[in-house]
Amino acid sequence: MNFLFQGHAVEAKDGDTIAAALYRNGQRTFSRSFKYHRPRGLLCVAGKCPNCLMNVDGIPNIRTCITSVRDGMRVKAQNVFPSLETDWLSITQRFAWLMPVGWYYKTFTHRTSWHAVEPFIRKVAGLGEVLTTESRSYEHSWLHCDRAVIGGGWAGIEAAQAAGARGEQVVLVDDQPELGGQSRYRKRGGKVPSDLIERLQALPNVRILLDSYCFGLYEGNLLGIVQRNPHPGAVERLVHLRAEHTTVTTGAYETPLLFPNHDLPGVMLSTGVLRLLHLYGIQAGKRAVVVGARGATEEISAELRDAGIQVMATVSAEQVRTVTGSASVKGIQTEVGRFACDLIAVCGLEVPDAGLAVQAGGKLSWSAAHGMFLPTGLPKHVSLLGAAAGEGLRANVSIPLPPSKRAFVCLCSDVSSQDLCDGVAEGFDHIETLKRYTTTTMGPCQGRMCQLSAIGVCAHETGRSTAEIGVTTSRPPSPGVTLGALAGSGHNPIRRTPMHYAHEKLGVVWMDMSDWRRPRYYRTSPAFAEKECIQAEYRAVREAVGIIDVSTLGKLALRGADCGKLLDKVYTHRFSDLPPGRVRYALMCDEGGVILDDGTIARLGDDRYFITTTTGNLEFVQQWLDWYLAGTGWDVHIANVTAGYGAMNIAGPRSREVLSKLTHCDLASPAFPYMACREAEVGAIPVVMLRIGFVGETGWEIHCPAESAEGLWEALLEAGQESKIRPFGVEAQRLLRLEKRHVIVGVDTDALTNPYEADLAWAVKLEKPDFVGKACLSRAAVDLSRERLIGFVLRGPGLPQDGAAIVADGELAGRVTSTRHSPARQAAVGLGWVKVAQAKEGMTINVRVDGKLVPATITMQPFYDPEGGRLRQ
Amino acid sequence: MSFLLPCPNCGRRSVYEFRFGGEVRPVPAVDALHAEWQNYRFNRTNAAGVQTEWWFHRSGCRQWLYAVRNTLTNEVLDAYLPGEKP
Repeated sequence: MNFLFQGHAVEAKDGDTIAAALYRNGQRTFSRSFKYHRPRGLLCVAGKCPNCLMNVDGIPNIRTCITSVRDGMRVKAQNVFPSLETDWLSITQRFAWLMPVGWYYKTFTHRTSWHAVEPFIRKVAGLGEVLTTESRSYEHSWLHCDRAVIGGGWAGIEAAQAAGARGEQVVLVDDQPELGGQSRYRKRGGKVPSDLIERLQALPNVRILLDSYCFGLYEGNLLGIVQRNPHPGAVERLVHLRAEHTTVTTGAYETPLLFPNHDLPGVMLSTGVLRLLHLYGIQAGKRAVVVGARGATEEISAELRDAGIQVMATVSAEQVRTVTGSASVKGIQTEVGRFACDLIAVCGLEVPDAGLAVQAGGKLSWSAAHGMFLPTGLPKHVSLLGAAAGEGLRANVSIPLPPSKRAFVCLCSDVSSQDLCDGVAEGFDHIETLKRYTTTTMGPCQGRMCQLSAIGVCAHETGRSTAEIGVTTSRPPSPGVTLGALAGSGHNPIRRTPMHYAHEKLGVVWMDMSDWRRPRYYRTSPAFAEKECIQAEYRAVREAVGIIDVSTLGKLALRGADCGKLLDKVYTHRFSDLPPGRVRYALMCDEGGVILDDGTIARLGDDRYFITTTTGNLEFVQQWLDWYLAGTGWDVHIANVTAGYGAMNIAGPRSREVLSKLTHCDLASPAFPYMACREAEVGAIPVVMLRIGFVGETGWEIHCPAESAEGLWEALLEAGQESKIRPFGVEAQRLLRLEKRHVIVGVDTDALTNPYEADLAWAVKLEKPDFVGKACLSRAAVDLSRERLIGFVLRGPGLPQDGAAIVADGELAGRVTSTRHSPARQAAVGLGWVKVAQAKEGMTINVRVDGKLVPATITMQPFYDPEGGRLRQ
Repeated sequence: MSFLLPCPNCGRRSVYEFRFGGEVRPVPAVDALHAEWQNYRFNRTNAAGVQTEWWFHRSGCRQWLYAVRNTLTNEVLDAYLPGEKP
């Protein structure tokens, strides 16, 4: 396998991570530090430190030590200029004295000075660059189990095996490509027998997720897990794992010891050295010095010698004076002598990886016996086993302090022990405030490498004990998660009406309305502009006949003896006295009298009603009805039939002649008057017909089974050919309704509008004994202090925009909510809000059009056919 | 907020399946004082502890239900359908 690193081809062996392949090929510097651009090399080789972050295929901050090589991938270093080996910005080290702790707060005290330097600082410091175009795909999945085991080392394998044998549904999660944990790379503890792993894999009730990391344990034992490369089609999969019980077996990790220059490439944690050796067959160096406490150093020295690495010396951290070398380790000066070497293996403190236990509600407290922070007070559904609980770890006697104060505690943001001491001296002597002031523990490693050292320095400087200092809080996500994984696949559902494909044949131009696609208008020929098409549709409705798809209306079928009672309670009008075969406008208000929704309610029979709601409010209205029904015991059944019915509105002076060709139903006004409804057949299709007139002409809203809707639509278009029928879209419909001054809830009304203000008082029956909103509406009926919805006709050229200002007597008086150019009035007409005093028929207001004030006349009447004669023809 | 809510119809489900409907409070009489209605509309007890709440199982049985929840721990002590218990 080959991949490109800084533009050069690098060969990798099977099973190599990017970092392993680079190290094998002689690369020693993997990154430059955040602030001072110091060279940094491999340290933990376990994805716990910030040292190997690189840009892989355009994605920044990839931990290359745990990312497997794929053929042809492009890997680049971050935050270096011009290269990893020669970074001119490392000159900043010489000016470290100019940048004390809290530098930003102390130097850029004026807003403008920060703005001046910010772009430069962003260039010099920092991590990778954000990828602004993301073409990779992510996905989500959901899992449920009796027991989740996080960590596939000895302890995890045993826990999963035991639970699996008891018959529990188990999910075992490990961030490595293979099970085995530390037994894969070190002799201590012994190797997990392969037959144990095989038996576990054979259990049908145990599911093993490898190369997957758990980033958080949330309320209700919900675990967030990212599975890398679950299949070739997705780069990451976020698994929402819900477990009855979580067993945390995340093991322990090693943290650095502090001595001068301990961050030089070639100084590596002992576990990192062992990982390179046993997982990838790489000798991290030829001649090594082992630093650390006795016991630990002996184990590592033996392993190194077995692998053919020469051990030059073994010293404790306190004995180290400094590490020499500029780009990588050349030697070490100690109290017991100088040694030339190319590798320093640090046997650091072992820290139980118990972050998940803390997220579950446990507390980390200092155990003097173990010399480490261990979780206590775990909730019932979480248990901790193995090294994560401190088992089998070497007791840390104390947290060692650096002999020199110029040792970098925080590798992520270059915070030295001197900076921490200064922070404490300046009064930030609590570990949480010290963290925020110095930013130590706040970088990409999330405190794994620096937490203990920071606590050690804080304890020393304040004279308090480690136990008193305590730890900072561990919060998810840890480790970090890509926003892509959290966002998922970006699934946007589209709802199509039953006539969708018929519209496409007619040259439809679509618009989105919540999830629905609706015809905006029809472009019957490419030669016609939008305006011409809409005007032709308008004329068809006013002069001949038009037909519009209204299937997106919310449709609810109510059945039961108490339907009238429920509707009387929830809507402002009365419906219990509505005779079967009649339709009424329906207005719904909340308890404060604010308009929520409108529509029509038809009574089909004694105990059958049919409700329509606005397109976007169906879900809300249904829940609202259900809520008022809950616990009453009333005999009402509500069924959402929105998707089951297609609907179309045929309207215009010639609509009757078209419709009568397809039905035996008597459509003449005496038999089928305005605001009546009938169940009938049209073209042998069973339908519900409502004679209503949103657009202001004779017309019928026809609801039919969805599967017949396309056929009925086409049959009506064909039957209407002689009558010059034309399909019309939402744009023409909005113009037609505006001329009739019909309000659209949510466009012409807002979250404070009551029916009295919106000129809908006729739809409120205050004489009803009780209904939702009555108490407040009774007050609103007599309180005239607020605004009124008015219509206006512009007396000049132009068309105001929605939201344009209305000015009266030189003062702002209100705003425009809807405007269109009205062919009927040959002028721009619109709806808007003004103060009650100005809402008088014939009064002049000024409307802002293209920055100029244009006079307009107020009217409280519809702009077209004010008497409504055309509706009733 | 990822606790489980025991729906009386569907069993324990993720809270993401539900819509929260607010604390359960007595509705004032239609002719009650305006101040009483204002209090009902705009003020909440906001209990730090156990309270009875409305929940709607939107992605499940689509029923309104009562849940007795400890707002400090998100532990749901009981859940039942309206009219089933006092």
